[in-house]
Amino acid sequence: MKLPKEIVDALRIKQPDDVIVYLTTCSVDGKCNVSPQLFTDVYADEFILMPDLFAVKTKINLNENRVGVVTIAHPAEGKAWALRGPCGHIEWGLPDNYDFQGVKAGDILKKWGEWSEKESFSALPPDDRPNVIAQRGVIVLKVADCLSVNLEDSGKKVM
Amino acid sequence: MTKLTPRMRNWLEGLGAHIGTATKKGFPTTIVVESAKVEGDNIVKFQLSEAQVAQVKQNISENPQVALGPGGLGSIRAAYQFKGVARLESTTLIVEVKEIYCTKPGPEAALRLDTLPYENIVKFESTRWRDTGPPK
Repeated sequence: MKLPKEIVDALRIKQPDDVIVYLTTCSVDGKCNVSPQLFTDVYADEFILMPDLFAVKTKINLNENRVGVVTIAHPAEGKAWALRGPCGHIEWGLPDNYDFQGVKAGDILKKWGEWSEKESFSALPPDDRPNVIAQRGVIVLKVADCLSVNLEDSGKKVM
Repeated sequence: MTKLTPRMRNWLEGLGAHIGTATKKGFPTTIVVESAKVEGDNIVKFQLSEAQVAQVKQNISENPQVALGPGGLGSIRAAYQFKGVARLESTTLIVEVKEIYCTKPGPEAALRLDTLPYENIVKFESTRWRDTGPPK
């Protein structure tokens, strides 16, 4: 699903006003994990990208159940969306032609594999930023559903 | 038994949570609730809208496991994840928290906190964050 400009603009890299999102993943037997993601970008207007920084449970879930939901936590005003779809992680070491939902590992890792070259992690407050940056790869979510998270129409398809 | 600290309570009550639910086969749905009420050591209550109830009712009935991430600024300042079991009473989602994890980015991400002695959890917090809840 191609995302509208307002969603793309909300999620793409733009310091210092980056949004913080939650990525919800789930084990195959239904145990959810809600993980904050401090950095996001958008590829081809339909793939949400997040650097894999110590995302242990997220990766375990995605290895067995390739679906995720992104919701925007902060700043969230006017950004009441739940973006759900196939989700996987593209790790360093995968062959360049490894394909996930139409994107190639080589293309993603070449551009987003060293996220700190695109966006300074030091922009985060000292209490909140990682002491050590060790990016293992890139988490990729292909948006298939865009749902409202507004109280009055939560779950309604926005498009 | 799991016991939330005052800081955890303050952030949850002040800014609510993003709540992950799923079918028993693992298809996730996330809702956002902007406040909560914490009762006892580990019970968190969320008042849902009718639309939210409709969205999660089937999930909760077939799979009561839920995960909570503090809402708003809490997503980064209150780096906790709470996991537990939920039930619906009318439009109230009642979550019994059974596990607490640190989600502070970096090497402490996914550290399980509820298995520590309560005093150690409080000490852990005090050495990492200076606030005791969201800004007024």
